[in-house]
Amino acid sequence: MSLTITCPICGKRDGYEFRFGGEDKGPRPDEDGLTPQRWCEYVHLNECVAGVQKEWWVHKDGCGSWFTIHRDSVMNVEVATPEAHK
Amino acid sequence: MITRINQLPTLRVDPANKVVFDYKGKDYVGVKGDTVATALYHNDVRIFGRSLKYHRPRGLYSLDGECSNTCMEIDGIPNVRTENTLVKQGMKVKEQNVKGSAENDMMGFIDKLDWMMPAGFYYRTMHKPASLWPVAMKQIRKAAGLGVLSPDFEMPGKFDQIFPSADVVVIGGGPAGMNAALAAADKGLRVIIMESRPWLGGFFDYRTFDYRDAQYKNSKPLYSRARELASKVESHANIRVFKHTSVVGTYTNNLVTGFQIGTENDKFNERYIEVRAKSVVVAAGCIERPLLFDNNERPGVMQVACVHRLAKTYGLLAGEKAVFSVGHDLGLEAAVDLFDLGMKILCVADVREDGQNPYLMIELAKRNIPYLKGWVASKAHGSKLVNKVTMTTIDGTISRDFDCDLVVASAGLTPINGHLTLAHATLRYDSHTNFFVADKMPEKTHAAGRMLGLEDSLSIEISGKLAGLKAALDCKLMPQSYGNTETDALKSEIDSFTAQSKELPGPARGSKFVTAPVKGRKTFICFDEDTTIKNIKQAIDMGFDVPELIKRFTSAGTGPGQGGIPGHNLPLYVAKYLAESGAPPKPTNVRPPLVPTLIATYAGSKHIMMKRTPMDEMQRADGGVFRKIGVWERARYFSDDFSCKKEIENVRNNVGMLDGSTLGKFRIHGPDALKVLQRVYVSDMSKVKTGRVKYSAMCNDDGCVIDDGVVIKLGENDYYFTTSTARAGATIEWLRYHTRFDGWDFYVINLTDSMGVINLSGPNARKVLQKITSEDVSNSAFPFSGYKEFIIKDTIPVKAMRLGFVGELSYEFHVPSSYMVSLWNMLKDAGKEFNIQNFGVEAQNVLRMEKCHIILGQESEQRTNLLDLGLGFLWDRTKKDAKTIGAVALRQAENDPTRFRLVGFEMENNGRAARDGALIVDDKVRGYVCTARDSFSLNKAVGMALVESHLAKVGTRLEIFEDECGGERIYGTVVPMPFYDPDGKRMKS
Repeated sequence: MSLTITCPICGKRDGYEFRFGGEDKGPRPDEDGLTPQRWCEYVHLNECVAGVQKEWWVHKDGCGSWFTIHRDSVMNVEVATPEAHK
Repeated sequence: MITRINQLPTLRVDPANKVVFDYKGKDYVGVKGDTVATALYHNDVRIFGRSLKYHRPRGLYSLDGECSNTCMEIDGIPNVRTENTLVKQGMKVKEQNVKGSAENDMMGFIDKLDWMMPAGFYYRTMHKPASLWPVAMKQIRKAAGLGVLSPDFEMPGKFDQIFPSADVVVIGGGPAGMNAALAAADKGLRVIIMESRPWLGGFFDYRTFDYRDAQYKNSKPLYSRARELASKVESHANIRVFKHTSVVGTYTNNLVTGFQIGTENDKFNERYIEVRAKSVVVAAGCIERPLLFDNNERPGVMQVACVHRLAKTYGLLAGEKAVFSVGHDLGLEAAVDLFDLGMKILCVADVREDGQNPYLMIELAKRNIPYLKGWVASKAHGSKLVNKVTMTTIDGTISRDFDCDLVVASAGLTPINGHLTLAHATLRYDSHTNFFVADKMPEKTHAAGRMLGLEDSLSIEISGKLAGLKAALDCKLMPQSYGNTETDALKSEIDSFTAQSKELPGPARGSKFVTAPVKGRKTFICFDEDTTIKNIKQAIDMGFDVPELIKRFTSAGTGPGQGGIPGHNLPLYVAKYLAESGAPPKPTNVRPPLVPTLIATYAGSKHIMMKRTPMDEMQRADGGVFRKIGVWERARYFSDDFSCKKEIENVRNNVGMLDGSTLGKFRIHGPDALKVLQRVYVSDMSKVKTGRVKYSAMCNDDGCVIDDGVVIKLGENDYYFTTSTARAGATIEWLRYHTRFDGWDFYVINLTDSMGVINLSGPNARKVLQKITSEDVSNSAFPFSGYKEFIIKDTIPVKAMRLGFVGELSYEFHVPSSYMVSLWNMLKDAGKEFNIQNFGVEAQNVLRMEKCHIILGQESEQRTNLLDLGLGFLWDRTKKDAKTIGAVALRQAENDPTRFRLVGFEMENNGRAARDGALIVDDKVRGYVCTARDSFSLNKAVGMALVESHLAKVGTRLEIFEDECGGERIYGTVVPMPFYDPDGKRMKS
């Protein structure tokens, strides 16, 4: 796998060590007043940006933490951003 | 057999060291260092095989494996590139795609039928009527194709994989690559250099003839310069050399993949290499651009370097009388060189009007070699081997025939760009070199050497050095690995070498010649796929105007040579044919692997790694029949009777023991532990009581059940819980994922491997347990669903639960793995008087099925939600603030009539059980059987099925369709669940 990912705890590692956790769509919406439509969008609809997007990854073969990175989905490379990792 | 010239300093074979191998059942003798192809050539084999479509004879052409001409079956493996495979003692070599022999192929007549097969003929002709296609396909497959592999073939040999890391990877071990490696290594960086041939040296390696004004001190010939560099590289402590290693892929983030062919001393036949580097130098060099003329692939037509290397590297003169038709100085050099080795050169035709190296012209004149400027070979003659060639002026006006046995043909050079384009370099046509050159290079990637169009030796070396220094700078600019102090010095060094290189000759002008003046019916642009330029014209005339599409329609460049032969000529030819459009040539895409790679090499060695429970050894000794279940090996049966009658009856009537150690086991604690459980479990986990076991389930966001298990409260915000075996690996990730926005403070520990589980079940279970503990385990002190912790023999801490998965009085003991064997033995001893027995996973499966206790993955699939399974009672709807995973979807699914329901059924008329996975049908598929077995406890066949809701009512007749039932249906009837002990008296007693 050509992708490398920078884990906030372990540093830059091979992409094999990580699992993808989807695009960053923010916290779970509150259940009160939640329409099926809105819920379905939250769970299933993705932006699928051809370019840089913010997404979740887990360091499954490392420290086990979940964090976000910005990735260029066209070139499949992690890109640096000024924004701090969560 | 031709005589080997065995005194050359450039030889890479050891003529004294004979190697005997088998070709078509007869012994042939080669020498150590020979490739299979050169050894066969040495033994006068000229026709190596027949072509894919037309069965034309094919022979040596490039000596680097760029086409399928010389692919053969070696030791049972088809399509082996004999030009790249070293001959070994006892090797068995066979030709392929022939009926008869390569020499006399009975399918050879097809060559005359080419008029029947215009470009894309099989797409366009064989489908009307449609019934024609299967017949035609069968015949085509019989006649066409390369090697044949039998379906039961097993790959011999050892295959390995390594994943090294390096600061700099250099692709190509020629003069530029070696200079790059040395430059970077001298800066203290760790370098890996990969070279496809079994030695370093590149195109310097076989060249002795020195026409220059002593570029190197003491007029050092190029081959000794190459060996000098090679010994420096190989002895450099910072350089790891991979020889006989083809790079097959380059990717973003400087990932380079390749495979190495092992030597006799290696422990592998081939190994896959994947290198992560900080910077990459590509110095892959050039191959020759084939000359297009009639019968340009007839055995006896070869490329310049093929003939040259055959002589200088292997000591073999390719023919006696040769005609050269070239477009490059290397062709002139080869002519002079081969003349000196005793080959008769009838003439050297050169398609270039000017630009020839004057020193070479003088040398040709000195030897009285006729030189035809502006001439080109237009047709090779000879039915199997070349015996004559027609030479023509470029405009086609004057022709002359030469009797010869060798035509050395090359239109020019073409850079090996695949390593750049795979890493997303964009190419642009450069009209000076006639090359496609990288327009935008990938990040931290540098090209060097001949692929830039350089010809001059010193220019090539300096370009390598510069690339090595730039790669070093890439590494040193990375803050995490090095300080920035050295970078200024490095930058000024780069500047000074750049200045120096400007003094030297730059990229040379390349020949633009594409095709001799021929109609092209037998002018092959792609050898692998038998594509002629006539086919290309047909495709263009049909409206395909982009090389990428023409490639697909004519299949030019889609063979095993991966476009090595047509890769450059196709776009040039298309651009020429469409000259009025004025568009520059557009290259076709290349894809990995750049060089044909064995699937076995990618697969690597056959590691089968399974987890074993602490009871593994004992269970095997007890006669357990093991099966792979998920990541575990588990005892599935304890006898040859796979219906497990005895095991089942023993649990129902007496007492049995099961090793349940594969169960997922976790502890979660910390201030927010309860909140986490409320999020992931559908039940209200605040109601979990100390000393009690709570059964619950986890859903995903669609409400589909992903896991079930029990939760035990150890203290405030401190819980112990189990998951299904399959789910254990993903549980912590799941918990962390679904709480990632909350910032909660909790710890989860995976105890799956550190804890073992013993399940003790059967009416006599309590009696057995009571014998090893003083703890009160009576039904009132330790009732069903109870939880107790006690210590056995003052040593073994036990977490004990009263569960009822199998439907009998049942205990589950969770103990540290290291105590598992001890506790097991104690229970076994205690149970001796009852004749306690093992039971395996299959017995458990039947026992729990009779109780209608589900196993996720068996009674559920991805779309099965909590309500479908009848587990809605687990779901607590009041805890909205917990944002329980799946709750929203369950609320939506609650009134959905289209969902499946889990039902119990029994077979009609005492029939046998339906097979797991059989379909429930009427005129449509209405569901499927999850698990069904002949039940010994009930004396009938019962099972569970997921069916459409209108079939869920008790008494409904189910029509069951099994694979290969041949229209015979079997029938079952929906009955209430559970089948066995519906009131649960036995498990609660």
